[in-house]
Amino acid sequence: MSIQPTLIAEGIEATSRREAGISSRPPARSRRSGGNRPGWSTTIVLLLCAITVVVPLYVTVSMAFKTQAQAVDGNAFSLPAPFSVEGFVTAWNLTNFPAAFTVSVLITAGTVIGTVVLGAFASYAISRNWDRKLFRYSFYYLLAAMFIPFPVVALPQIQLTGLLGLDNPVGVTFLHIMFQLSFSILLFTAFLRSIPNELEESARLDGASTWQTFWQLIFPLLAPMSATVGIFAFLASWNDFMMPSLITSNAALQTLPVVQSIFQTQFSNNYNVSFASYLMAMAPAIIAYLFTQRWVMEGVTQGAVKG
Amino acid sequence: MHRSIRRTPRVLAAALGLVLVGVTLTSCSAGDAPETVRFHLSKPEAIPYFRALISEYNAGQDDVEVILDSSSNLQAGFLRGNPPDLGLLNYNMEMARFMERGALSDLSDMPEADRVLPEVQQLVEQYATYPGRTSVLPYSVMAASVIYNQEIFEQQGLDVPQTYDELIAVCDRLTAAGITPFYGTFKDPWTVAQGWFDYTVGGEIDVAAFYEQMNELGTEVGPDSPVSFQKTLAEPVDRMKVLIDNYANADAASKGYGDGNLAFAKGEAAMYLQGPWALGEIAKTSPDLKLGTFPLPMTDDPEDLEVRVNIDLAAWIPEASKHQEAAREFLSFLFQQDVMDAYNAAQLGYGTTTDAAPVTDPRIIGMSEYYAAADFYQGASKAIPQTIPVDNYLQGLALGSGVESTLKTLDADWARLAFRR
Repeated sequence: MSIQPTLIAEGIEATSRREAGISSRPPARSRRSGGNRPGWSTTIVLLLCAITVVVPLYVTVSMAFKTQAQAVDGNAFSLPAPFSVEGFVTAWNLTNFPAAFTVSVLITAGTVIGTVVLGAFASYAISRNWDRKLFRYSFYYLLAAMFIPFPVVALPQIQLTGLLGLDNPVGVTFLHIMFQLSFSILLFTAFLRSIPNELEESARLDGASTWQTFWQLIFPLLAPMSATVGIFAFLASWNDFMMPSLITSNAALQTLPVVQSIFQTQFSNNYNVSFASYLMAMAPAIIAYLFTQRWVMEGVTQGAVKG
Repeated sequence: MHRSIRRTPRVLAAALGLVLVGVTLTSCSAGDAPETVRFHLSKPEAIPYFRALISEYNAGQDDVEVILDSSSNLQAGFLRGNPPDLGLLNYNMEMARFMERGALSDLSDMPEADRVLPEVQQLVEQYATYPGRTSVLPYSVMAASVIYNQEIFEQQGLDVPQTYDELIAVCDRLTAAGITPFYGTFKDPWTVAQGWFDYTVGGEIDVAAFYEQMNELGTEVGPDSPVSFQKTLAEPVDRMKVLIDNYANADAASKGYGDGNLAFAKGEAAMYLQGPWALGEIAKTSPDLKLGTFPLPMTDDPEDLEVRVNIDLAAWIPEASKHQEAAREFLSFLFQQDVMDAYNAAQLGYGTTTDAAPVTDPRIIGMSEYYAAADFYQGASKAIPQTIPVDNYLQGLALGSGVESTLKTLDADWARLAFRR
């Protein structure tokens, strides 16, 4: 229970990173089109934003390489001296890192793929059948799920997954997809409305079935939004603590954030071990974001302009 | 470019399928041949020690395979009907709830149950009982009292105080010499409750008897009831306020537990109200610092001295476990005397059995005479259900709220909670 703050902090960091990224692009672009004025005020604001991300990251990295004695000396900003990888070794052994990492990757991959595919399916059906009551109401129904946080339904979900034999990573993946679905459908549906119907009609004239139209025409057009949805799903699933901790019953199949919780106790501070472990856990999220941020921004701005 | 995009959905779908199948298979594969016993242990410092024990046990026979579980959620496990087969963890009121409802099996017929010291077994019963059962076997006890810097005491020519007046005299002499008597870490509410509140209250009143009466009174608790927080605890809490206001560091409000360990390790104060768990943290900075422990004197009679204890680890086997016999065998393995002694020596714990080896670590040996004589109490703040934010109330006290109003609030909360149950 003492674990929540860091996770929240991680979440905030992720959000701020996203926000910083999203808000930084448009002014940069407009400035370029307006000439080569340096724009100091914007630069300073962005610099301050960058500091809020870089400083904690610097502390994380330097702390991870400190010895235990140096880690508790109260100087968070000092450089590691002597340089030590003992934190990484301890974290690796204590969490059985490769196993937990594999489970985390599988759950996250399943969630991302499931969310994108199911979200696109549902949104396509809803946006193209908007005139029918069933579809319109099912849209509202799915959106309503956005207002149900997991903790509220945690107890029945634990029992239900237990009864169905889903008290394992598969169940966690299903639940992650479900909880991610409403927000994804909101994004996809808005985006789909901007795709002209004529495109589909021309495909149908050429004899394409609904299935073919979707896979060969619509889904490729959805790519930027799929990237956005996928990244949201990735971050939510990778960083989630509560759901896997409650749903998975076999400790050997636990995800990284949960096995890492053993570093944080009331009575002991193992900063170097915990930060080394967080660094190893953070790495995939940062790498994924670095490679995909182009699509996130494109997706968001495209949706914003056309929708 | 277009062709590759067209192909991605199929690749994605195939990958999803593979992922799901893969996960299902891994979750199935663990189970068949030897009987598995899931062993829940959540104390991080103890994991390496018990991991070694488990591999020794697993290598020694083929029938049972013990799996260490340090991350699964207990409440969820009990709710789902598949709790761990053997638990070895901190025993507190939250854990007592499971016992109270009969979720833990009876272990009274095990020979290990007869070895447990009766006065230690009684600590378990202070929180809850289940008729006719001994469901929880204490494995290790942590004794906590004032940690003091022996070098500072020697330099100043001070003796360990035995009465409240002597304590005040020691504090005054330290202050006169320019040394902070106590290091407070009020930023972390639990440190106020664990040290300041529990030591002062436990040093003066009979904690177990007080809460027994409080539980009987239930909704009756108030200004006119025979016992209450505002009446019974007024004096010790007043004295706690005196110590905090006069003898703690001035910046205590902004210091947390980690800061306290660091500062105390650097000799910035003479006394520290923490338990043995802090000793390991202090040793990270100053491994050779000479430290000792003594019970906080709160009365004028040295006979009243007592130390605070808590059951650091206790073993239990759930009713819902399908491998109770195998779990019992492993429990017997863990309760071998040398296994227990080695654990307690490493973690600065006190033994719970009649044949336990005596404590030798100089840092905690100061408490051994009190522990041996059963002069101990469980923390007063720990007997209050977590629904009442007692740690935060006490932090408020440390930061300046009034004693009377805070204790009145506690009484009102206690009565309201009793009414709701």
